Amino acid sequence: MADRSHIVKSYEQELGQLRSMMAQMGGIVENQVALALSAIADRNEEAADAAARQDPEVDQLEREVEGLAIRLLALRSPMAGDLREIVAALKITGDLERIGDYASSIARRSLRIRMPENQISLSGLRSMGRLVQENLRRSIDAITQQDSNRAMEVWHSDRAVDEYYTALFRELVTYMMEDARNIRACTELLFIAKNLERIGDHATNIAERVFYAVTGDNLPSLRPRGGPTPVLTATETMQEPDVR
Amino acid sequence: MTPGTLQEMTQDSMMTKTDPQVAKSPEVALAVRNLNFYYGENHALHDISMDFQARRVTAMIGPSGCGKSTLLRIFNRMYDLYPGQRATGEVMFDGRNILEHDLDLNILRARVGMVFQKPTPFPMSIYDNIAFGVRLHEKLNKADMDARVQDVLTRVALWNEVRDRLNAPASGLSGGQQQRLCIARSIATRPEVLLLDEPTSALDPISTARIEELLDELKEEFTIAIVTHNMQQAARCADQVAFFYMGRLIEVDSADRMFTNPKQQQTQDYITGRFG
Repeated sequence: MADRSHIVKSYEQELGQLRSMMAQMGGIVENQVALALSAIADRNEEAADAAARQDPEVDQLEREVEGLAIRLLALRSPMAGDLREIVAALKITGDLERIGDYASSIARRSLRIRMPENQISLSGLRSMGRLVQENLRRSIDAITQQDSNRAMEVWHSDRAVDEYYTALFRELVTYMMEDARNIRACTELLFIAKNLERIGDHATNIAERVFYAVTGDNLPSLRPRGGPTPVLTATETMQEPDVR
Repeated sequence: MTPGTLQEMTQDSMMTKTDPQVAKSPEVALAVRNLNFYYGENHALHDISMDFQARRVTAMIGPSGCGKSTLLRIFNRMYDLYPGQRATGEVMFDGRNILEHDLDLNILRARVGMVFQKPTPFPMSIYDNIAFGVRLHEKLNKADMDARVQDVLTRVALWNEVRDRLNAPASGLSGGQQQRLCIARSIATRPEVLLLDEPTSALDPISTARIEELLDELKEEFTIAIVTHNMQQAARCADQVAFFYMGRLIEVDSADRMFTNPKQQQTQDYITGRFG
């Protein structure tokens, strides 16, 4: 029983095809996020356009992965590890598609930011972007290598993404309070930060699903989290209510 | 202990010889402990220990020759019919080890019914197929026997199909009907345990679905042990699943866990089709 290949070769081929489509989708989405971050950091309009242009391809792959997964469920009656992998793929493909949407949104917003860079520091956003990108890369590696340890790393690292977001929120609100002319750009940047935070959440979702697919166990339902997201009160002072 | 009547056997249950904790547990119908089985020199089952929970379906799965049918045949001592076959260890049923030599096998087989892979109706009428076994153990008047026949045929959802031809030969029924008749025949003696050895492997999908639906109803009253090669059937019907390989029990767990997250790599390989 050393050979782990399925006795039915066509079944093994279809599982391989599913893995390959997931890897392809992950690669495209990772690239979209990289382009979107480049669009912000370098004011690179070409990168922004390229990120948005890849969206239909991701959507198409999502449909194809869903179709193949449903076909496998219907025709192969998968069990145990195969069943977990196919169900995880069905859910991960949704996460990847959402990440692609957020990357497109970031790219589009980056084109709308009109402000001399020296007035607003983008270093926090770049750092957050790098961390989210790293988490996404690790979660996609976890998919392709079926690596539960890598998945666990992503899961633990989401707290840092949350903390970056909270810090950025404060920073951008401060810019807006200092000078009303910053409001428009900072609002776009706030949305971008939120989109990055959501990409981080979806990368963590992927990590959780890979962990389940590989081990059969669920990670704890409560993720490690950073501080609560601050909100503004009517008097424009920041408080930290107990909301998640 | 001398061979006893059904009542004596029940009373004997109060005098458990071994493993009283197992026998007292209302949840365990059959407690298998350190069971070994031999076909002559061939050691077919190795040190099997597991519980069959009362009023639950336990499915036994594994490749051909793994010992699952052998285990089933031990529960009604069918191996006694063949010289050279012997079992050691314990199978506790209602407080007695059914492997004991002095056990009354007629009583045991009335309490542990069995249905085989191929429908095996007796060469007699539908009515007599049911009544035959009952007559061996009980003396019922005509009205009571009629009621018993109607009751069990109704429970296997066959009554409406055969009520007008009870005296017709059972061989005239379809395969699925014959198998339901065999199940009716098995439960007519009011057993506590029902053993099914691949009961649907010769049936079409509709007949199979009827048998599976029947199992779902019967398990409210009977402890059911089923051997099946159909993994989906085990997943659909069983509460507990045991995986055997080369005469050894590799893993036993709830059906949910066995088919989504088995603990043993051998189980995973077998149920996902990566065996060999």
